Amino acid sequence: MESRPPELAERFLCFFLKQEFQEEVLGDLEEAYYFALREHTERRAALLYWFQVLNYLRPFAIKNFRSPEIYPVMLSHNIKISYRTLLKNKTYSLINILGLAIGITVSIFIGLWVLDEYSFNKNHEHYDRIVQVFRKNVTPEAIYINSSMTGALGEELNEKFPHYFEYTALTFFRPSEQVLSIGENSFEEMGYFFQPDITHILSLPMLEGSRDALQNPSNVIISKSFADKAFRNEQAIGQTVNLNANVDLIVAGVYEDLPQNSTFGDASFLISQALFYNEQNPYGWDNYNMKLFALLRPGVNVEDASEAIKDVIKPYRDELYNKGEIFLLPMRDWNLNSTFENGVQVASQKVQFIRLFIVIGLFIPLIGCINFMNLNTAQYQTRGKEVGIRKTLGSVRATVASQFLVESFMYVFGALMVSLVLVYALLPGFNEISGKEVTLPWMFPAFWLLCLVFSLIVSLFAGSYPAFFLSSFNPMEAIKGKLRQGRKSIRFRQALVVFQFTISIFLIIGTITIHEQINHAKNRSMGYEKEGLITIRGRNADFAQKGELLREELKRTGAVEEVAFSNYPLTNTLGNNGGFSVEGSTEINQETFNTIYVTPEYGAAAQWELVAGRDFNRDQGIEINSIILSESGVAQLGLTDPIGKEITAHNNTFNGQTNFTIIGVVKDMIKGSPFNDPVPLMLFPNTSTNRRGFMFVRLNPDMPYGESIAAVQESFHSVLPDHPFYAHFADDQYLAKFKSEDQTGTLATLFSTLAILISCLGLFGLSAFMVTQRVKEIGIRKVLGASITNLWMLLSKDFGQLVIIACVIALPAAFYAMNSWLQNYEFRIPLYWWIFVAGAVSCLVVTMLTVSYHSIRASLANPVESLRSE
Amino acid sequence: MKETKLGDFEETLLLIVGILDKEAYAFKIAEEFEDQLKRSVSIGAVHSTLNRLGDKGFLTSKMGDPTAERGGRRKRIYEITAEGHRALKNSREIKLSLWNQFPAFANLKFRVG
Repeated sequence: MESRPPELAERFLCFFLKQEFQEEVLGDLEEAYYFALREHTERRAALLYWFQVLNYLRPFAIKNFRSPEIYPVMLSHNIKISYRTLLKNKTYSLINILGLAIGITVSIFIGLWVLDEYSFNKNHEHYDRIVQVFRKNVTPEAIYINSSMTGALGEELNEKFPHYFEYTALTFFRPSEQVLSIGENSFEEMGYFFQPDITHILSLPMLEGSRDALQNPSNVIISKSFADKAFRNEQAIGQTVNLNANVDLIVAGVYEDLPQNSTFGDASFLISQALFYNEQNPYGWDNYNMKLFALLRPGVNVEDASEAIKDVIKPYRDELYNKGEIFLLPMRDWNLNSTFENGVQVASQKVQFIRLFIVIGLFIPLIGCINFMNLNTAQYQTRGKEVGIRKTLGSVRATVASQFLVESFMYVFGALMVSLVLVYALLPGFNEISGKEVTLPWMFPAFWLLCLVFSLIVSLFAGSYPAFFLSSFNPMEAIKGKLRQGRKSIRFRQALVVFQFTISIFLIIGTITIHEQINHAKNRSMGYEKEGLITIRGRNADFAQKGELLREELKRTGAVEEVAFSNYPLTNTLGNNGGFSVEGSTEINQETFNTIYVTPEYGAAAQWELVAGRDFNRDQGIEINSIILSESGVAQLGLTDPIGKEITAHNNTFNGQTNFTIIGVVKDMIKGSPFNDPVPLMLFPNTSTNRRGFMFVRLNPDMPYGESIAAVQESFHSVLPDHPFYAHFADDQYLAKFKSEDQTGTLATLFSTLAILISCLGLFGLSAFMVTQRVKEIGIRKVLGASITNLWMLLSKDFGQLVIIACVIALPAAFYAMNSWLQNYEFRIPLYWWIFVAGAVSCLVVTMLTVSYHSIRASLANPVESLRSE
Repeated sequence: MKETKLGDFEETLLLIVGILDKEAYAFKIAEEFEDQLKRSVSIGAVHSTLNRLGDKGFLTSKMGDPTAERGGRRKRIYEITAEGHRALKNSREIKLSLWNQFPAFANLKFRVG
């Protein structure tokens, strides 16, 4: 067969080439093609043809896709007409702008939130070179990733790999608030015990003093905001502060506060790690109680350095506890990519939330767009006449469509202005809810560009369908008023409404589920009484030594019922050990138990519930070989009749002993995350005054807490005049555990309310149109004797059906999503059926209320009015 | 006012149009250009310039008769206008004058006429 020029190239040419040139150019090119065929292969000729076609992409030859001469005139005309339309229909304009504005506001907030998460830590100058050392622990069951390091590792890396690491710095694994006293005033603030080079690693912005200040362990460097708070107008440098009623330190530096979205953003001060240990050498190989941060030398690759150091701890490892390999986690991964599952990086819960919010941030403006589409296409009869006239006067379809696009851009632009005001006004509230400190980047051109691009996209999206639909009218029919909207366009509009309600129902169900889950955990049986229980943390040796005296003095006030001590707080599961066996069995249980030392009154102070056996008893002396277990501890060891059974510890000694007899079993105490299964608990009698870091005071319930706290404080200071007094209520600490869930819950409530609000706004407008269109029908029906209820049913039925379809879509989707969300929690609610019913019913009710406003008004209207015109 | 200067490429094309006479259409002109100047050129570029020459009033064009070898399509035949002739002549005179003033070639005699 004779070969032909490539058809695609021809089609492309015809697409862009001016009509007037098409014949001759196609001819010329074809001639050139056959000319080329004489000397070249078919392939090459085709290639040459393409080359010739592309060379016609020149201004003179390209079709006018728009007419440049009249365009500026048209544009100003379009804007004028849009403005008039906007003013003519005030209600609908308001609905459109409000819906879009709320949508855009939500998007901006979510954008700021996501941006804040992704810019975490980026303020540090050497962001790309900062790493934290992690450990991969391989057991036959799974791979665990842990960031706890042994203290000797820092020095080891410095010595063996100086070409990789510029600086390393250890800090204590578990940061906690410390008390700084300045004269009479004392402050309980978050501060970090760090090795001195941390200031270089973080390139800490010093306002006063040098970055090397921490080389001297008797120095402290403080943040600007803390300096302002503690020293007011005085010069901070050189002042003496007292740490934990223990050591005097000199303020040797003031640094600019780290931003809230940085790992150490909560630090009010940094102190030398050397202060934390005043006795034995902490930097051994046997205790994994540190975190290790480092700054890589410029040009060092994280992976290379990781690979080089991975086996460093192997020579020192304990065979029983395989401490595994170490690796480096770069700073960019700390915030969002530090969750591991079986050794593999997975999306953390935070990342899941970010994804969820991004989806919401796209969907909510979408609901606003849908309102715009629906309200505009519903006006087809009035707008149709306009289109008809335009077309008869010579507008082509593209010009008509451009009018509607300009209109949608005006709405979106108006909405953008409103939402910028809204964002500005609501930003403090948003920061409160989300726990962030974001600001609007007014000063960055990129922000404005982004706003503009976003609104262009939104307006194109919102305007494209109305433009497409309204510009398609046949001008003759439109002018005669004979327009009928096709079944297709009604269907499409209904589909959009269904879509809106699907999102709304989904969000309602999600919100209820989140709230139920949080309340479920909040009302969980704790195993102790959190009301009226306070914790006071010991800060110095005096506290532990005078513990007995303190207890007597406090009890004498009558303001307290019981006082007990332990080495760890009641509201956390610190102190974990494994490796226990039960008498008669050689098998060593490797599960982790929460092991704490308590004074005999611990149970009475916490008001726990004894299930079997007895409590520790002061009168029986120190029962050095006794142990009390929690129910889950008993289950973990596989005991059925635990009292009197003997337990052997294999990895550690407790009170210098390895064998213990179980004297009691208590109900599980929820000390860690209220969403997790209880950690099995083992309690040993407290024999050493050193292990009394925490005092628990059960307040007298018959006395107002204000009074009893005052009495406790006074009595406390009579025994320990220099010791700072900070009492924390157990129930406050418990509630603090719900912070992130509460934030999510509040945001979810907010979003779903807004989604429903926007949907209803649209529905309100839409139902008004429906009623106007059927006003004569209603009049006739009424004359013929239809009751108000009949008419209401008639008009509301359509929307009710749409809600029901939306339910059919939303319910399974919500079930799937909520089910997988709940899997994050060990302690969780089942998916109650009533949540789904509530979601569907509430949406139906809200819809009916919205629609009823118009339908009832129409039913009540005098039919004479509506029928008179004919 | 419209630009009426004659560019170098424009001048060449104008001359080729004159040479080809009744066969002066875009493809032929491009082919001739490549033949004579040993430089490749795309038909699009040629067409674009012819179009511009038309705008300047140096060329007119009309559609010719359909030809079988180009799928029965007609060609656009270009023709130099009187103004085009004037511009060519003008350009040649200016160039010659310049050549004659150039010392290295000043003793060469060009036949002008």
